[in-house]
Amino acid sequence: MRPALLGAMTPEEILETLQAGEEKLEAARRLAQLGMPTRKSEAYRYFEIEPLMERDWEPVQIGGEIEITESERQIVITDGIVTQLPRDVEVQVACSSAVDLSGKHFDPLYYLSHLMSPEIISIRFRRDEKVTIVHRFTQPGKLLAYRTALYLDANVRVQVEERYEGEQACGALVLGGYDAFIARDARLSLIKDQTLREGDYTPILSHRIKVDTQASCDWHTFDFGAGNGLQLVDVELHEHATIDADHLLYATDHCRRGTVSRIVHIGQSSTSNQRAKNILAEKARGIFDALIKVEHTGKYTKAHQNSKAILLNDGAYMASKPQLEIYIDDLEASHGSTTGQLDEAQLFYLRSRGIAKEEARKMLILAFANEIIDALEDEALRERLHASFETAYWGQTQVSCMETCHGCEETALGEKA
Amino acid sequence: MSQTVMNIKNLHAKIGTKEILKGLNLELEEGKVHAIMGPNGAGKSTLSKAITGHYDIEVTDGEIDYKGQNIVDWEPEDRALEGIFLSFQNPVEIPGVNNAYFLRTAVNAKRKYEGKEELNAAEFLREMKKLVEELGMKPEMISRSLNEGFSGGEKKRNEILQMMMLEPDLIILDEIDSGLDIDALRAVSEGINKMKDGKRSFLVITHYSRILDYIEPDYIHVLKDGKIIKTAGPELVAELEEKGYGAIEEA
Repeated sequence: MRPALLGAMTPEEILETLQAGEEKLEAARRLAQLGMPTRKSEAYRYFEIEPLMERDWEPVQIGGEIEITESERQIVITDGIVTQLPRDVEVQVACSSAVDLSGKHFDPLYYLSHLMSPEIISIRFRRDEKVTIVHRFTQPGKLLAYRTALYLDANVRVQVEERYEGEQACGALVLGGYDAFIARDARLSLIKDQTLREGDYTPILSHRIKVDTQASCDWHTFDFGAGNGLQLVDVELHEHATIDADHLLYATDHCRRGTVSRIVHIGQSSTSNQRAKNILAEKARGIFDALIKVEHTGKYTKAHQNSKAILLNDGAYMASKPQLEIYIDDLEASHGSTTGQLDEAQLFYLRSRGIAKEEARKMLILAFANEIIDALEDEALRERLHASFETAYWGQTQVSCMETCHGCEETALGEKA
Repeated sequence: MSQTVMNIKNLHAKIGTKEILKGLNLELEEGKVHAIMGPNGAGKSTLSKAITGHYDIEVTDGEIDYKGQNIVDWEPEDRALEGIFLSFQNPVEIPGVNNAYFLRTAVNAKRKYEGKEELNAAEFLREMKKLVEELGMKPEMISRSLNEGFSGGEKKRNEILQMMMLEPDLIILDEIDSGLDIDALRAVSEGINKMKDGKRSFLVITHYSRILDYIEPDYIHVLKDGKIIKTAGPELVAELEEKGYGAIEEA
C-alpha cells in the first residue's frame, strides 16, 4: 500500500482501498479534503515525509485470537493489540470501531491511522488511577496503524505513563496516537518517554485531546535519540480548562524529530502553557511548530508558549515556529523562541573550578533539561527520566540523588544533627 | 625570603582588538597577601582573567610562570586543578545545576587529580554544611541552583564557600567587597583570613581600601594603563587614599 496514492482518491475510493467500513466515511472525507502530506504541507514542512508516503508498505494485519495476560498496573499493546491488562486497576478496555471525529484535526495522517485501524482500543477510567501503557512493536519494515482512545469520567485523576518498545521493528512506520476525552473536572497526566535509535521504527503519533469544562491535562513528552519521529497534537480547551504541555527533545545524528501542535481555546477562562526545550547534536533537526488559537468564544484566555533550543554542533538545526492566532481582546498571551549555543560564561565558571570541559558541558546540558524533568510531580518518574535522558546523552547513567532530589542531603544532614 | 609562587613577565593581553595589559610584570610570593589597586579600566579584572585562562582574553606576549611552569596555554580547568582559584566579581547564575552537586564534582575532580579518594555524598555534605554555617549562609543554599536568585552578598559568600572547600594555593579575589554590606564583608573576610596558612598566596583586586581593613596586605601594587607602576608595603594605601591614583607616577 502506497499512502501517497490515497491523495488523488475520492472518500469512497479511500474506503474501498483501505477496506474500511461505512462508519469511517467522515474520516475518509477529511483525508480527501486535507490530501496526503507532502514536503509542502505546513505540518510536515520540516520532516521528510515524502519517502514514507511514496513507499509501498505491507500493512501489519491486526486481529486474530490473542491471549491477554495480567500485569501490575500495566497495559501492554503489542502491534496494535492489547496483550496485557493490569490486575488491580479498574479500567475498561474495549475495542470499538468508531470514535467521535468531529474535532477536525489538521493532520491527514490522523485520519489515515483511523481509517487503517480495524478497531480502536478504548480505555475508560472510572476512578483515580496510575497506569503505564507500553506500546510494543515487533514487525520490522511494515506499516502499523492503530488508535487508542482514553476516556476519563468526570472528577477522576489519572496518570498515564507511556513507554515504547520497538527494538525488533526496525524500519517500520507506526501511525498511531491517542484520542483523549477528559470529562468535566477530571485531570489527565500523560507522560511519554521515547528513545529512538537510528534505523528504528518511525513513529508518527497524531493525538487529539479534548479537555472539557474545568478539566485539565498535563502532557509531558521526552523524545530522545537518533531516530526520526513526529508527534502532532490537536487540543480543544473548553471553559476553565487547562493544558500544561512540556516537551524535552534531545535529537542527534541526522534525525528529524519534534512536535507540531495546535491548541484551540474555545471556552472562556481557559489556560495553556506550552514549553519546549530542544537539544540538538550533530546534524539533527528539531521541530517545534506550534499554534495557539483563541476563538471568539475564548474570553479571558491565558496562553503562553515558549521554545528554547541549544545547538551543540554547527550542523544542528532548529525549526522553531511558535504562533498565536487571536480573535479577541480580553486575554493574556505570550510566545517566544530562542536558539543558541551553551553559555560560554557558565562553561568557564565550571571549568575555573577544575571541572573538565566535557563534564562541564554535560552539567549545563543536564541543567537545561532539568527544568522540564523537574516539573514532574512524581519523584520516581523524575528520577527515571533523569536517568533516561542521561543514558541517551551520555550512553550511561551516573545520575545520583544529589542531582535529582534532596532526600539524601537531608539524610546526611540529619545524621549530623 | 619567601619563594615566588607566580611570576608574571612582560604580559601583553587583549580583549578583541583592544590591548589592555601592556607589558605587566608582577611577582607573587608564597604565603603573602598582594593587593592590586588601580582606577577603573586599568586592567585589574583582565589580569585576573588572564591568570585563569578566560575565553575573552588573548595573551599576545609574555609569560605567566606558576610553580615554575608557564601556564599561558593551559586550559582553565588545569590551572584550577593546580591550585589557582578566582573569586568572581559577578558570579554567573546557572539554573538547574544544584549547588551541592556542582561543588562535589569540583572537589572530587581536584581530589582525583591529587590522587586522593573521592568524597561520597554524605561526607561531602557534612563538610559543606559546616562551612555554610560558618559563613552565615542559609542552609537551603546547599540545594538551590548555583547562584540562581542569590543576592550579591549570597553570591560572594558562595564564592568563599567554594574557596574553602577547594583549598587552593593561589586565591584571586576580584572586587570581593563590591555589593557587600558590613556583616557580609566581615563574614567573607573571616573566611578568607582563616585560609591564611603561611603557604597560601592571595591576590586581592580592589578599587577601594575598605577590604584591606579586614584582609591585611603584605604588598600593594598599583595597576594603571595595563602596567604595574608602583609596588610598596601597606603604607601605600594611606597615600592612595589621600592623593588618589592620579598622583602615583610610574617608577
